Amino acid sequence: MRADLIDIQVEDHGDDVEITLSGSLGSYQLAAVREKIEMLADGPGCFIFVNLEHAHFKVGDYLDLFLELLNKLQAKDSKLILIFKNEEQEAYFAKYRNIFEIYESREAYKDSGLSKQLLQIGVHYGSKTGIRLSPSVAIALSLLIVGWAITLFLIIAAQGRDIADKQAQIVALQSQKDRYVHEIERLETSIGPLRKLGVIEDTTMLTSFGVIQDWVSYLEFLENSRREK
Amino acid sequence: MKPTISFVLQLSPATAYENLEAVARNLLDGLDVLLNSGLVKCSVFMDGPTLKMLRKVAKPLAFGKIRNGIREGILEFLGGGFYDPMLPLFPEETQSQQLDQHRDILKKYFDIEPQGYFNSSFVWEMGMTAVLEKSGFDYALVSEAAIQATVGRSTPVSGWFTVEDRGTLMRVVPVADSLTEAIEKDDLRWRVIAESYCHGGKSAVVVLDLPAQASEIVAFFERLVDFVETNDVQTWPVGYLVNQLPPEGSLSYLMSAGRKLGLPSSAMTCRETLVRRPEINLFQKSFLNLYRRGHDKLAGKDFTEFCDALLPAMSPMFFRDLANEEGMRSLKVREWGFRYLVSASSTLDSLMKFNGLRIEVCDYLLQGRKQIWVENPDMSLLLDYHAGGVLRSFYHKDSAVNLLNAWRDDAEPTFGFLDCLLPNADMTAQQIEQALSMREYLLRDPYEYRIKRLDSGAEIELLEEQGFAVGTKRGVFHVDKKFTLNPSTSEIVADYQLGNSTYMDSRCFFGSIFEFGLMGETGGRIVVDGFDMKWDGKNPLVYPEANKLEIHDYGTKCTVTMSFVKPAAVFIGAIFGASSSAAPELFQGVRVYPFWRTALSVADEMNFKITVSVSKG
Repeated sequence: MRADLIDIQVEDHGDDVEITLSGSLGSYQLAAVREKIEMLADGPGCFIFVNLEHAHFKVGDYLDLFLELLNKLQAKDSKLILIFKNEEQEAYFAKYRNIFEIYESREAYKDSGLSKQLLQIGVHYGSKTGIRLSPSVAIALSLLIVGWAITLFLIIAAQGRDIADKQAQIVALQSQKDRYVHEIERLETSIGPLRKLGVIEDTTMLTSFGVIQDWVSYLEFLENSRREK
Repeated sequence: MKPTISFVLQLSPATAYENLEAVARNLLDGLDVLLNSGLVKCSVFMDGPTLKMLRKVAKPLAFGKIRNGIREGILEFLGGGFYDPMLPLFPEETQSQQLDQHRDILKKYFDIEPQGYFNSSFVWEMGMTAVLEKSGFDYALVSEAAIQATVGRSTPVSGWFTVEDRGTLMRVVPVADSLTEAIEKDDLRWRVIAESYCHGGKSAVVVLDLPAQASEIVAFFERLVDFVETNDVQTWPVGYLVNQLPPEGSLSYLMSAGRKLGLPSSAMTCRETLVRRPEINLFQKSFLNLYRRGHDKLAGKDFTEFCDALLPAMSPMFFRDLANEEGMRSLKVREWGFRYLVSASSTLDSLMKFNGLRIEVCDYLLQGRKQIWVENPDMSLLLDYHAGGVLRSFYHKDSAVNLLNAWRDDAEPTFGFLDCLLPNADMTAQQIEQALSMREYLLRDPYEYRIKRLDSGAEIELLEEQGFAVGTKRGVFHVDKKFTLNPSTSEIVADYQLGNSTYMDSRCFFGSIFEFGLMGETGGRIVVDGFDMKWDGKNPLVYPEANKLEIHDYGTKCTVTMSFVKPAAVFIGAIFGASSSAAPELFQGVRVYPFWRTALSVADEMNFKITVSVSKG
């Protein structure tokens, strides 16, 4: 098997798959390269980068291979991006420069524009999941989702405001209560000496069990009330 | 006649690097003895880590005194590689890096630029001429035997010669091998031997190893001073010799395989070590692979950081076929070496922000045929589909260990997933051990490979007819061996499907051999289905029905877990290597062989599954 003459590497990063071919590739290796490239491209991945920086093509037949690969990948809504920056490859692919997407590196492609990448991801996952959306429906759906999100945010904000008002009221009532308690204590203090002299009868201690602090007092209270009857 | 000798002092290959601080302290004291006496003028070579340690432990004014000694011509520091590597084994950029790093440190500490190049292994190839000239060296020390071979004579050679290669020139100074040996062994005939080198006012270069143990270093220096004083020997540093004496002539070619490398005398080059020892070859190729990847992908500070992690793996210790912690025959040295490589690999991953799964089909071992290299941030492995779909290496990055790190004296590599059929006979554990260590009944025909990328990772499928011979019985199995890997764990799932492709029933035991370089000096334990085997590390044993086997290695702090869907009988045995006493008593690793009874009728199929995972702790 002539596959043994090929140096091939695949790096799988989820959506990005980089296949690197290196070495001197002539007619003898064509079949093996085709088999291996197709095998590696046939899997998950939205962007298939084929790095040819260290490859040297001895014959022109590899152009057909890459055109076929491009077709196959387009059929499954993945994108083929060729990676190289040397003049030799520039000259080799010059004929089809407008067909292939060619970048210097994976990073260079990533920096080349977000919208086309998003679109590609949309197309890829659309075909993968079977959910296909036209741009207008997608925009409408996006607006709807954004609208929902904004509404949700407004509701949460309104509820937050309401809670803050209630908390302010509670704080105000609490401080009012404290003020009243303080006032009562002050009044009790002022009438304290008069009560001790018996000038004023403390009505709060007569009508209830409020003065009874223990069982002995309670039993005395019962006894007294029986005697009074 | 008063003999003139140029002593060169170097660290012994057996230097206790684990106790480098003590070595450095004693070295300073020893140099102090030398400088105080003023009688011995000599050259010294120390590698980068030793120089750094010297600086760390030096007392005030110690370095000033050494600098003064250098100015007065008592002491000469020789240059070389920072980790003293055998240069021809490595790419030219790394050679220059090592030389420049060592030069920089000598410049920084002693304010000198070394004139002479020294390599403790005495390896020489013509390609080094240009590299050394580029790094500013005036002369290099080479072994006497290499020059004798070139000039075609067996009589002593002294003085210095010139060699040129591709328009670059280097002066080479032979080391007087027989005089070195005589002085090392306190041979009383040393003066007679010296005369044969020192005729015509020439100086003989004698290279002496400093004692490996720190406590003996000062006494060594005292003995040296005493020797020179008692015997009235005139001493010069080697640089003085080159500057003062005329050349002896030009050499058209010079090649030296080096010394104390464990190579036979017939070896012509140090690369012989790569051919003879697959472990050293794998180590060197792993180094090259890592370096090339780092060189391609990193630049600037990142590349420097990566090189700092990787370059210690160039130490000569990792390329010698020697035992006793001097070379790769020692499990401890192999562990040490692979720790550098695997740590450098982790550094590279983090600098490149590598995630995902990388599969590379390339001639990794540079043997003219391809292997499959698989890597994720947790582990990496080398799969040789030509040799029966076996694992050649299995690195666990978290533990910085190569699990398949055993050593076989027959110079066969150690493997994982090496498939083997044992005959359908009542065999004892000792008999199984013998069959496995002799590597009989193997399925080692080349496979055809297929790589399938999946959502959850990748699958490498190996398919082929595998012929076998068990006793007089010959047969063919159709084997479908599938390795499933994922991008984020150190786990391999091997799914086997065996089909009987012959027209006769086949009864045998099918299993897979793993030769782990684990449970060395610090030991470990083996647990089968939660039951500690309390294995003595010597005698083989067979556990009849195991679902899960764990090997805990205390040294590397990693745990290898093997689980089987169908309960397997598991053989556990030790791998021993020969020591200097020739008896196979050096522990080199653990051999594990899970196996199943297979009774396959015509066109029958059987499935087995082995999951191997590695964790730290």
